[in-house]
Parts: sequence; structure tokens; C-alpha cells
Amino acid sequence: MNVGYQFDSLQKEEITHTQLVRYAGASGDFNPIHTVVPFAEKAGLGGVIAHGMMIMGFTGQAIGNWFPVKNLTKYSVRFKAMTKPGEKIEINGSIVDETEDLWICEARAVNELGEVKVQAHFEVKK
Amino acid sequence: MSNLSATLTNIKNIKIAPYTYTVEKGKIKEFASAIGDEKEEYMNGETIPPTFPTVIEFWGGKSSSSETLGLNMSKVLHGEQAFEYLGDINPGDEITVNSTVEDVYTKASMNFVVLKKEFVNQNNETVLISRSTIIERH
Repeated sequence: MNVGYQFDSLQKEEITHTQLVRYAGASGDFNPIHTVVPFAEKAGLGGVIAHGMMIMGFTGQAIGNWFPVKNLTKYSVRFKAMTKPGEKIEINGSIVDETEDLWICEARAVNELGEVKVQAHFEVKK
Repeated sequence: MSNLSATLTNIKNIKIAPYTYTVEKGKIKEFASAIGDEKEEYMNGETIPPTFPTVIEFWGGKSSSSETLGLNMSKVLHGEQAFEYLGDINPGDEITVNSTVEDVYTKASMNFVVLKKEFVNQNNETVLISRSTIIERH
């Protein structure tokens, strides 16, 4: 590996409403904007939206494909856009810098139209 | 800041009670499966996925942080999330979460709350720091 290295991208399956219900139960985040359509519509979201943390979880899955997760020292994201059932997410990433002990990396979760959902920064022990 | 509403000023002074969560193998598997990340080390519950700390945050407390802070749940969005991994979190660990409101501000007609959570294990080692930026739309 070296700075500039591009990781193999991770293609996730289409997000379903059922997956949001399942993620709500697993994570404990029961905000109804993620699971209850009339509530989400009333909130002005035009239907339920995925938990941002689930998309961070997808990106975490990619990181675990690229490195042993025990070597992860920092992982942060900015949530850039909302994601809805029916969207397909792909995660891409690369090594952008290094120190003596660490790989400094970035990743992005995007939909099929290239809209960025999550912009991630992470650091991994060499 | 002078344009903070009374509510935001109150949020800044809210004390969130610490809570403790025991990490269980079955929960690790359930969480990884919900994401669709079926690595062997997660399916057997030996290793936690990178975002598992969110499970500790939500299931450890009595209600979500946003509810505790009195935010309007139909207006709340997650802006940013950062994890610093300082030590291992293993199944069987008893993790105590100490939360503080680090910052509160208003920008572009939205309220921002930055929450810092320190994860301390049963040996009194700080194993993780979580920072969440929560946005409340007006």
C-alpha cells in the first residue's frame, strides 16, 4: 500500500424500508422519521429516511474489508445528504496521507447518481 | 452567542446521567446483520463493527440523547459523527458512558448541539470517545 492507493469499492444492495426497521431495532434509534411513513411525511421529508448511522455503518463495512478493524484509531463522517429506501449505495476510498505509524484515508458513500451521502475520514495503524 | 434561544441555553447546561451497558455477542451479530456486514468475526460476536458504539449510546440510556435534550424529534438530523478508538471493546465488557454537551450554536437557521461521550470500561480505562453533532431544523 502507498499514498494514493484506491481501495476496492463496496456495492451495497438497494435499501429497503424493512432494513430501516431492522436497523432501528438493532441500533436502538427509534426516531419515527426512519420507520413511520406518515410521521416522516408530516416532518416534511416526503417519506422515511435512512439512519445516517446506517450509511456510516456501510462505510465501516468497507473499512473492515480494507483493514483489520482492530487497527482503526479514528473514524469520522459528515452526513451530506439524506438517503431513502430504493437507493443503492457504493463506498469508495483511498489512502490520502501517512505518518510513521498510520495510514490516513478518506472514503465516500454515494448513490447511483453520484450524490455524496457520507464523507468519511479515518486513520488506521500500519 | 447572543442569538441563542432560551431552550438552547438550557441545553448547554443539561447534565446527562451516566449509564452502563454490557456488550453482548448476540447484539453484535444482530447489529452487523442489520447493516448487511456479515464478517465471521461479527457473526460469532467476537469483534465489534466500527459503528457499534452507537448501540451502546442508544440502548445504554433510557432514551435517545436527542430526547433527553428535549429536541423536536421530527426536526432532528445527524450532522457529523466521530469515533476515537483508544482501546478494545469486547463482548462481556461493561461500558459506562459519560456524556457532556460540548457546544451549542445556531447557524443558517438551524440549531447545532455537539455531544461528547466518553466510554469507560469495567477496568476504568477510557476505550472510546464519541462526538456527535446533532442538527435541529427550525
